[in-house]
Amino acid sequence: MKRRILSIALLAAMCAALLAGCGQKSATWKVTCPWAPSGVAAMVSQQAATKSTSYSDTITLVAEAIKGDAATVNTWVADTKANDTELVFVGEGLLSITSILDPAKMQFGYEDFVFVENLYSSIFVLSADAKLNIGSVADLEAYVQQGTEISVAVNGATSSEAFLAAALFGSMGAGDKLKLTPYQSAAEAAQAVSRGETQFAVSHQSQILETYQQKGVTVVCAFDEGNIENGPFAGVEGVGQHGYPYFRNRCFVMARAGTDEKKVAELKELYGKILADAEVVEWLQDTMLLEVDTMSVADVEAHVENVKSIVNEYKDIVAG
Amino acid sequence: MLQYIAPATGLLFTLENILWINIGVFIGSVFAAIPGLSVILCVILFLPVTYSMTAIPGMMFLLGIYCAGGYGGSVSAILINTPGTPHAAATMLDGHPLSEQGRTKAALKIALYASTFGGIFSALMLLFLGPQVARVAAQLGTAEYFMVCVFGLTIIAGVSGKSMIKGLISACLGLLISCVGSDPMTSYDRFTFGISRLYLGLDLAVCLIGLFALVEIMSKAEKRLDRLNLDTTQIKDDGVITKEEYKRMARPVLLSSIIGVMVGIIPGTGASEASWFSYNTAKNMSKHPEEFGHGSVEGIAAAESANNAVTGATLIPLLTLGIPGDGTVAIMLSALMINGLNPGLSLFTTQGDIMYAIMLGLILVNVFMFLQGKFLTTLFAKVVSIPQEILTPIIVIFCFAGAYSVNENFFDVGVALIFAMLAWILRKLELPPVPILLGLVLGSMTETNFRRALLISNGSPKIFFSSVYCIIFLVLILLAVGAIVRGKMKERSTQKED
Repeated sequence: MKRRILSIALLAAMCAALLAGCGQKSATWKVTCPWAPSGVAAMVSQQAATKSTSYSDTITLVAEAIKGDAATVNTWVADTKANDTELVFVGEGLLSITSILDPAKMQFGYEDFVFVENLYSSIFVLSADAKLNIGSVADLEAYVQQGTEISVAVNGATSSEAFLAAALFGSMGAGDKLKLTPYQSAAEAAQAVSRGETQFAVSHQSQILETYQQKGVTVVCAFDEGNIENGPFAGVEGVGQHGYPYFRNRCFVMARAGTDEKKVAELKELYGKILADAEVVEWLQDTMLLEVDTMSVADVEAHVENVKSIVNEYKDIVAG
Repeated sequence: MLQYIAPATGLLFTLENILWINIGVFIGSVFAAIPGLSVILCVILFLPVTYSMTAIPGMMFLLGIYCAGGYGGSVSAILINTPGTPHAAATMLDGHPLSEQGRTKAALKIALYASTFGGIFSALMLLFLGPQVARVAAQLGTAEYFMVCVFGLTIIAGVSGKSMIKGLISACLGLLISCVGSDPMTSYDRFTFGISRLYLGLDLAVCLIGLFALVEIMSKAEKRLDRLNLDTTQIKDDGVITKEEYKRMARPVLLSSIIGVMVGIIPGTGASEASWFSYNTAKNMSKHPEEFGHGSVEGIAAAESANNAVTGATLIPLLTLGIPGDGTVAIMLSALMINGLNPGLSLFTTQGDIMYAIMLGLILVNVFMFLQGKFLTTLFAKVVSIPQEILTPIIVIFCFAGAYSVNENFFDVGVALIFAMLAWILRKLELPPVPILLGLVLGSMTETNFRRALLISNGSPKIFFSSVYCIIFLVLILLAVGAIVRGKMKERSTQKED
């Protein structure tokens, strides 16, 4: 008897749930982040997913992080087709670096995706061991002219950080003196410079903040056109104004190529609303030290090409 | 600090927090008890739940999962000779033999008591010595990390069984397998044979399922036994631990808790390393080293107190320097950051009440873990009453589900099967599987730090003797090697006398 009552109750609950869902044309879009769940992109994606229900009755974003970089995107491309409710993050690491250094790792190309939106951009900074007392691009140029070996801690041997270091010191004419020391995480790289294992480190602003506040490092310059405008590093010089190459870190949300343009436009509109949310903007700026950075397809292609040109020019320094 | 304790207590002791702690502890215990379903996976799965919460209940929930995961892994290690999580592998060495001696409940109880002690010990360390300890840990560099790894590798002698040569062969195999994937220093591929999933290397949890769980089932099937390692007729113990056993456990538990804290504060290491270091140290210092591997209460206590002592310690660099001590804690970092808290010493002054509430909360988590463990121990022990024809397929399903869930990929299920075959062949050759696991745990870390240290020093080995910490670790290595040699000589002389 008990079982029968339980079965009827369950059936009733299922019917009620189905009826409640009728009339709503809600689609759930899974957003796969191919990097660490604790990483910047995964956190931003999660925040956007949390906000999605506040701004749309028809689209729900569900964030998922599967660490694996190219391997995860390979699987995503193999398992999806046009108009599937699946999105994936792709950044300059894959589109501009791996595609040149190790194309065999990628079973996809830019043409397999259709751009939806870029959620943020992050300005990398160069920090120096506090003992060196280097606080500006001029100090750095003077230091480089001494002709001594330059060691830079980076997160990963062929990462964006490694190429930025190579581009900066390479364009200063010190490419042959540069020694890139790869670490397993950005936090490790930041710690390495503060204890003197390396002279410099390249990292996101948020990753060096605590070490900087503890006076373990000085922040020399930012890898951007102009000076940093907001946050604890406001006023730090951009290398662009001194004629050195640079790029920001960006992670694009992509749908599968061939997906209905209307759907893509709806998604872009939703992301636009989420990124205009005052709470999200404040969180990105104050906690993550990132900037909201919505982009067009042309902007994305320009970014990918800019990074590619830097990779092509300095790949000998990074990859030997 | 004192000015924050009262407001922190007020923030912590709410019904909501206590509820979330208990939910987290329960989920963590269950996840960790199932081979393949790791604590990190559990935290990733439940992380989105915390995004709608404020910082304290969110962290309490995640800490509940994290701490209970430290204990939960021991349950399957003791019951079915398969560690639920990689860090419970050392517990398995003595936990399962003790269970086979008909003392399952006692083994589970020892694991629970030791885990609780280790957890509370590290929570107190975090509360009182966090910032000071973190500053010292931040001084440990690449060369020191390498020395820690070498010290870890001396454990191979302790887990090699009868033949040191066979243990070394197994360990070398483990080290070789750890090389699969992208070279950590150059990003070039090694041993990937063009298979894209291998670029990522092999996941420890997946290897473990093959090495210990699936091979056990294959082996029993081969012998046409209708039972796995669970013999219900033998489980009749009342879980009593004698006074003598409590006395014997006291020293290894305290020492292992200290080791667990020391290992935990070093970023990049984790509970697996801590439990092996402690197990080895306990064996070297024991008056009954011959009991290790055959159901030693000291062995279980050492491994379990160490892996739970890591939990609070990994939070020390996270909360004070913003550096996550291990992968699971790195995910917790995002729970803090989503709430606008950027961890670091400055947060202790700007948001001191929240930080101290989290640290005090860790003690509370361990208390509830103990209370739930007391109940769950009986519940888990009841697993043995499930008929084998039902339990065995369930274990196999969980093994495959666990392997799949690591990267949501069937490739990993295949890897688990390959490792099961490998382990089966090793059994035929009488090569011990535990040193392979050690090679896998320590291989990548040892190699990376060795090569990076030489890169920093431009190839000079002097870097390995360049600091006080390096010298301390070197002395520890020499002592460990000395103890191994002495033990072997003693063994030989005993054999001659016999």
